[in-house]
Amino acid sequence: MVNLYVLILAPLVGFLINGLMGKSLPKSVSGIISSFAVFVSFVISSIYFFGFVGGTQAPIDANVFDWITAGETKISFGLLLDQLSGLWLMIITGIGFLIHVYSIGYMHDDENFSRFFAYLNLFIFFMLLLVLGNNFLVMFIGWEGVGLCSYLLIGFWFKNQPYNDAAKKAFIMNRIGDLGFLIGMFLILFYFKTLNYGQLKEALASTQTSHGLLIAITMCLFVGAMGKSAQLPLYTWLPDAMAGPTPVSALIHAATMVTAGIFLIARANFLFSMAPETLSFIAGVGAVTALFAATIGVLQNDIKKVLAYSTVSQLGLMFLAMGVGAYTSGVFHVTTHAFFKACLFLGSGSVIHAMGGEQDIRNMGGLKKWMSITFITFLLSSIAIAGVPPFSGFFSKDEILAHVFEANKVLWVIGSLASFLTAFYMFRLVILTFFGSFRGTHEQEHHLHESPATITIPLVILAVLAVLGGLMGLPEFISHTHWLNSFLAPIFPHAEGHEHMAISTEFALMGLATALAVIGIGIAYSLYVSKQQLPAKEGELKGFAALVYDKYRVDELYNAVFVKPISALSSTLYTIVDKALIDGQLVEGTAGLSMQLGKRIRSLQSGNIGFYLLVMVVAISLILTYVFI
Amino acid sequence: MKTLTYTSLLGIFCMLAEILNLRKFIIPIALVALCVIGGLTYCDLNVHFEPFFSDMLRVDNFSTSFSLLLIVIAILLIALSYDFYTAQKDKISDYISIIIFTLCGALALVSFSNMTMFFIGLEVMSISFYILAGTNKREVRSNEAAMKYFLMGSFASGILLMGITLIYGASGSFNLATIAVYASGQNPDITFYIGIILVLVALLFKVSAVPFHFWAPDVYEGSPMLITALMATLGKVASFAAFYKLFAVCFVDAGSHFKLVIAIVVALTILVGNLSAIRQDSFKRMLAFSGVTNAGFMLFAILLPNENGGSALFFYAVAYALSSIAAFAIAIAVSKFSGSEKFDAFKGLAHKHPFSAILLTFAMISIAGIPPFAGFFAKYFILSSAIKGGYFWLAVFAIINSVVAFYYYFKVIIMMFSKPENEDSFSPNFVYITVASIAVLITIIAGFAPGVFFIH
Repeated sequence: MVNLYVLILAPLVGFLINGLMGKSLPKSVSGIISSFAVFVSFVISSIYFFGFVGGTQAPIDANVFDWITAGETKISFGLLLDQLSGLWLMIITGIGFLIHVYSIGYMHDDENFSRFFAYLNLFIFFMLLLVLGNNFLVMFIGWEGVGLCSYLLIGFWFKNQPYNDAAKKAFIMNRIGDLGFLIGMFLILFYFKTLNYGQLKEALASTQTSHGLLIAITMCLFVGAMGKSAQLPLYTWLPDAMAGPTPVSALIHAATMVTAGIFLIARANFLFSMAPETLSFIAGVGAVTALFAATIGVLQNDIKKVLAYSTVSQLGLMFLAMGVGAYTSGVFHVTTHAFFKACLFLGSGSVIHAMGGEQDIRNMGGLKKWMSITFITFLLSSIAIAGVPPFSGFFSKDEILAHVFEANKVLWVIGSLASFLTAFYMFRLVILTFFGSFRGTHEQEHHLHESPATITIPLVILAVLAVLGGLMGLPEFISHTHWLNSFLAPIFPHAEGHEHMAISTEFALMGLATALAVIGIGIAYSLYVSKQQLPAKEGELKGFAALVYDKYRVDELYNAVFVKPISALSSTLYTIVDKALIDGQLVEGTAGLSMQLGKRIRSLQSGNIGFYLLVMVVAISLILTYVFI
Repeated sequence: MKTLTYTSLLGIFCMLAEILNLRKFIIPIALVALCVIGGLTYCDLNVHFEPFFSDMLRVDNFSTSFSLLLIVIAILLIALSYDFYTAQKDKISDYISIIIFTLCGALALVSFSNMTMFFIGLEVMSISFYILAGTNKREVRSNEAAMKYFLMGSFASGILLMGITLIYGASGSFNLATIAVYASGQNPDITFYIGIILVLVALLFKVSAVPFHFWAPDVYEGSPMLITALMATLGKVASFAAFYKLFAVCFVDAGSHFKLVIAIVVALTILVGNLSAIRQDSFKRMLAFSGVTNAGFMLFAILLPNENGGSALFFYAVAYALSSIAAFAIAIAVSKFSGSEKFDAFKGLAHKHPFSAILLTFAMISIAGIPPFAGFFAKYFILSSAIKGGYFWLAVFAIINSVVAFYYYFKVIIMMFSKPENEDSFSPNFVYITVASIAVLITIIAGFAPGVFFIH
């Protein structure tokens, strides 16, 4: 248990040190303390994780202290460390540590260096809380905490107003989702008198619960997941969140925080499995999001925006997996996605670093000449995400699509189409960035260089993981067992393998997926290498393409439908109700009245004893008169 | 019982100390002795429930709890007098012994079980107050305060005696238990009711409820500030305990004759106290009116003769008395330094001596009724039991008024945290800081663990 406390508290200590006295520490010390804190967590996580792998570690479920006691309801501050949270711990602390190291190089010129690391540490702390809670409330604390850190880090360069707006947008969008989470939590508490996962599971097994209630609870929880994991219609904050420093995009907005929604469903899978309607809905939302975001990604020119839409799309794919009940496959994709997407974001950060802040791929090109390590790692990760065997993304994505194929052919078509588009736009990105000739200014060209070791080492490690990560989930006909499946078997008792599917179908699906990926890559190659096309300049796109380029104008739609009416309403309320009525009449009026009355009453206090006694006598007479006559 | 005996002996000893030439040690001796007496009293909790002196006094958990509170108040205030009376060293034994006699009267008031003892206790306490109010002999206002208090107090005592006589005439006894039996019996005589009303009026006078409150601001203003603190805390708490014993326990079966009167008085007291406090520019006078308002809140407890009323009253008394003592301690220090009791004297205190500014801020926040300090829970318990008791609109009225009260409680906070006008350094004597810290600490503890302060 002590180890577990250290695991959780180390990042918090890092946060306190950096937050309270970071300003007076030298930058190197500040970065090292913060990275070390996460490293400590990583080491302990590894011990637990490999304990689980070796079968020597039993799951820990412990109540640390009684937190809220109200009437019959008792909520403990409890921790649960099992295979699922163990896996997430590895992602959070492992990738988190690499990104901390990367940030030392990436942020070295920033004046608020220590503040950045303080936030990063705080984020890790809350993320650990999120995955380690043994009840929904602890998860919710982490959930809100990571939302806060996300907000703080998106708006890290707070002198830039659009960045602040992006931060606010992320926060508000997430609040909408959080409301769903909260309502779901209240429903659980109200009907089952507990928020603890284990107790809830028992309660569900032992009592007959109305189906409608289960649907309501799971739908509410899923709304929470939609907000945090950027699914339709609450996804618009994630692309804007790229305003934050690139390590933040890699850590929070690709590898860890945005997968919290998946974690929620995985953690409460026993609950979701009892509400198949909700699962179908989740699958639908996931599939549509995957395709929708992928189409937008095709026409974006900002290197980070492409990756952001790609993240939304991949998250959609994960929800699709969860929705068809393939929980293991969803978690598998979370893991591989964490590897290659973190690597891609960090690579893009390396590129932006070299380009002096330039993010538009139309002004890049030919960078492989200068940045070979960044190029190779970026390329490997792109192959992984495109789904080319035997890279990690292939196995996880293929597994998802195989499950979807079994469940619903329409969703499978949508999912495959999204994968195809993914392969295309990722290679469009790679080619426009690293191939061809340099299209930027001379000044930029002069400045081009490979990034320092603190940046390239994490890139190499992540690229290796992106290539080999698939090994943990090799299909059963290749390796003897599906390792991840058996590892997570205690969590997902009904996790089915492919046993129902004929090997021939499986091979056919794999072949098709590979073919689609290769075709996508091929199209990108022919368009941007052979024909040397460049993306259109602003305003040159027409018709549907322009609509896609403008991200389907969803932001404008939300603005017109929600934001404008609300601000009109609030400014009306402000001027009429608040200013005129409440401030003008009620507050000022009451204050004025009190003052006037005070003045009158005060003049009664004359100091004249005769008057005082007279008042007393009159009062006594009045009372006696009242009581007896 | 032994509490009262030993305290009286301590008072006599303090008078003799003058002869024995122990003037220098009188305050430490009194403090130690009071701590011992407090300890002995604490041992009585949950132990003794018996009558003394032919049923003149009765010790129970109610009386023991209040006795403890009164002793704590006395200890804190006597500690303050260590620095307060530096200019009048030769009179110190008189002052201390009179303060201890005040405590004796107060102790009698919380444990009497006979009307005679009630009257004696009230008079011992009041007469001591008359003297103490005039202890600043060279100050005209102090003399005026003593005279005014004495005149009006005598008037109230007359009414009280009249009331006790009528009650005796009707019921044939001074004993509370006998009177209670008579009150719950068939058709008590009308003179009995008139007696109750007269006793009620006298007590309303003692707790400075409107419209019998006129003496309070003038007397509080004119008296030396330490004595003001004594009257506003010790005097008020003891009077309320007696009030509760008589009206919520003894006369409770005498019907609802006095209930509506008290309800009207509650409303008037809270309103008039508040509105008068708004316009004050003297901190001391503001505290005097705030005492009037708080009396209104404590009167709620008299309306609610259920098992919670006593606890709610006691908790309110703890919160109010200790917050007031903290406020008075800092105010004495400030006024001693600047020679002024006005709000202006506090300007910039937060820059000159941040700790005392924080203590006063906490005290004000507690009296204003903001969590997590005891003042909030005091108001909460009183008002929630008032709502349960059917006084919903009165409670709403009280809540609205406590919002208005923020104005004058926060005035001093704003003053303290605004820019200082001069660069004078301010370093108060440690006793003020210690006393205020202890008082604030207790209000914080009471805020976090209110259960400790309930009477069981």
